[in-house]
Amino acid sequence: MLDFKYDFDDIIPLPISSDAEGELCQIMYDDDYKHLMGIARAMLESKELSERALHITNSVVEVVPAFYTIWNYRYNIVRFLYGENAEALDKELDWLDEFTLNNPKNYQIWSYRQAILQLHPKPSFKRELPILHSMIDDDTKNYHVWSYRRWCVLFFKDFTKELAFAGDFIRRDVYNNSAWCHRMFVLKNYHPSAQEIEAEITYAKEMIEKAPQNISPWNYLRGIHEVFLSGNYSPETVEFALSFVGDFFERKFSINHEGSLCEEAPVVESSFALELLATVYSKRREHLQKAKEAYHGLIAWYDPIRKNFWEYRLGLLEKDEGK
Amino acid sequence: MSDKLHVKKHIKYLERHLALLPSKYQEHEPNKLAIICYALVGQACLGVDVPKKYEESKSWLETHYREFNLNGDLVSGFVSCPTMDLTAVPTINLPNTLFALYNMICLDNYEFLFEGIDRDSICRFVSKCQIPGRGTFVSCLDSMDNSIRSPTDSSDLRYCYIAVAILNLMGCQTTVQMRKYIDVDNLLEFIKSHCCMTGGFGQYGEAHAGYTSCALSILDIMGGDCWQILSPDFVSRTIEWLVMRQVSNQGCMKLMVNNENYDLADNGGFQGRENKFADTCYVFWCLNSLEILNRFTKLGTTYHIDALNYLLENTQNDVIGGFAKNDEDDPDPYHTCLGIAAISLINGNFNGPMFLPTTLLYKYRTHYVQ
Repeated sequence: MLDFKYDFDDIIPLPISSDAEGELCQIMYDDDYKHLMGIARAMLESKELSERALHITNSVVEVVPAFYTIWNYRYNIVRFLYGENAEALDKELDWLDEFTLNNPKNYQIWSYRQAILQLHPKPSFKRELPILHSMIDDDTKNYHVWSYRRWCVLFFKDFTKELAFAGDFIRRDVYNNSAWCHRMFVLKNYHPSAQEIEAEITYAKEMIEKAPQNISPWNYLRGIHEVFLSGNYSPETVEFALSFVGDFFERKFSINHEGSLCEEAPVVESSFALELLATVYSKRREHLQKAKEAYHGLIAWYDPIRKNFWEYRLGLLEKDEGK
Repeated sequence: MSDKLHVKKHIKYLERHLALLPSKYQEHEPNKLAIICYALVGQACLGVDVPKKYEESKSWLETHYREFNLNGDLVSGFVSCPTMDLTAVPTINLPNTLFALYNMICLDNYEFLFEGIDRDSICRFVSKCQIPGRGTFVSCLDSMDNSIRSPTDSSDLRYCYIAVAILNLMGCQTTVQMRKYIDVDNLLEFIKSHCCMTGGFGQYGEAHAGYTSCALSILDIMGGDCWQILSPDFVSRTIEWLVMRQVSNQGCMKLMVNNENYDLADNGGFQGRENKFADTCYVFWCLNSLEILNRFTKLGTTYHIDALNYLLENTQNDVIGGFAKNDEDDPDPYHTCLGIAAISLINGNFNGPMFLPTTLLYKYRTHYVQ
């Protein structure tokens, strides 16, 4: 566990014991662990900032990746030894890349990485791209990694690669919600032109065509309309949503006194299309009946698990109507 | 509790994690107080007389408490493990402090909670962890210079929640009392900056059920005017976002067969984000959030039935007890506690925002008033 390149003979290990009375979760430490922790803790206790201390922290975080004090200790060693030496800090990032690849679920790595970049005199986004790519490639919805990427984009103020990056992951899995959210994050931060917004609407629609029952691009479509178009849906977008609900709105439904629909279910390819239409129709008094039918359809056939919620929506609509 | 809940097996499962653990648990050393909390809270929910059963551990838990002088200010909190702690470098942090307090409440150790610790200095530790200007919190101080916050720590809504829960347990029942230690307005701004367009809370616009539960629990604990940071429209979207996290195998939902993160068998469970598999812990985080918002809307709770079925039929382990994340993994203490807590929440016996069984919290607070 310890590299013999460094000499630790002068360190008197601080023993760890684990047999106190009433102790819960007593761990049967193995000898290597006791030895390593004994030395690491002794060095931390004396606040030693040295190459060999840095080396010890390698071993400790390998064994106990969640040990927050050691990450902090490591940072202090790095700052003391390397200061603002770009080359040395790059080496630290190299080590961190390697550690990250072996411990993908650890989340301390990302805040540690942010601290190192903030210490670095010449941080580079380019330097971050390979590790970001390989981590997301490996676990395409890893929340911490996507968050770190967004932090980087803002830190380096560089949005140029992001639409393409998100697009790659959407192409790979059209259901990847993190990639869709990334796309929206980019749009909201760089003030797109009307033309660019139009292009994004077209893009979202193309992706919906591939898999109509996919909440992520529907959220994206709705988001674009709310953020950039004041919630106004064009007739084309309404037509687009209608193309997934078959002849639902052409049927004449009779709604019985219990509020349920009596007929057989028309074929609907996407409950999200129906919901979007309900939202659009709710805004126009002459279309209220259609909005109600849509909610009844969701209750009865297309999304019955959320019956309560759709009824609640229906209730709000009827309350509005009463006004 | 439902007949289908294997109470005895779950108790045994949780008991085992409080006993002697093999060396592979070494990596969880910094989270030991969390594991203990999951085992104690879980057993308390299942009706075990926890104070009696673990009476002998009361004083051992007390040894996790540390006080130290920080440029004239006394600050205090709890360390993850007394044998790992150091004198020159205090290793107290916010999560361990909250878990230790939960554990003491589970053990009815009021003597220590009211006489043994200095509540004011615990609140001061919380205060030192808040980042001025940003409103959020880190979880610990720097190892070399205790007067500054750790520069390597993350600082997200989880630590905000933990900070507020600690202050509440330490006697700050209102924002007026909290203002003595933290910048409440700054914290509210931070929470507001996490509102997502879809509803829900998350980082950089990606809503997440865990962060959503943290944000809503903070507002619930602080109460009153704090809710005004959220528009009625956002609250209504958040309700929608939350109910949409319940995975369904009915209607159009079953058309998602080409979605590699969709499983018909997850029906009734909750996912943490859009297009993810259901997971035991997100049942708790979503239900807690919905219970909080339900007070404003009276939406009803029919989602309980399917959620309960999911937990009992899919993620409960029938052989060794415990709950797993999903229907494939082995059970673990975290998902076991959260699964049991979700069922208690459904039965109306759990205070979600404070993460304690209602009776325990009530008893603690009653003691507080006296």
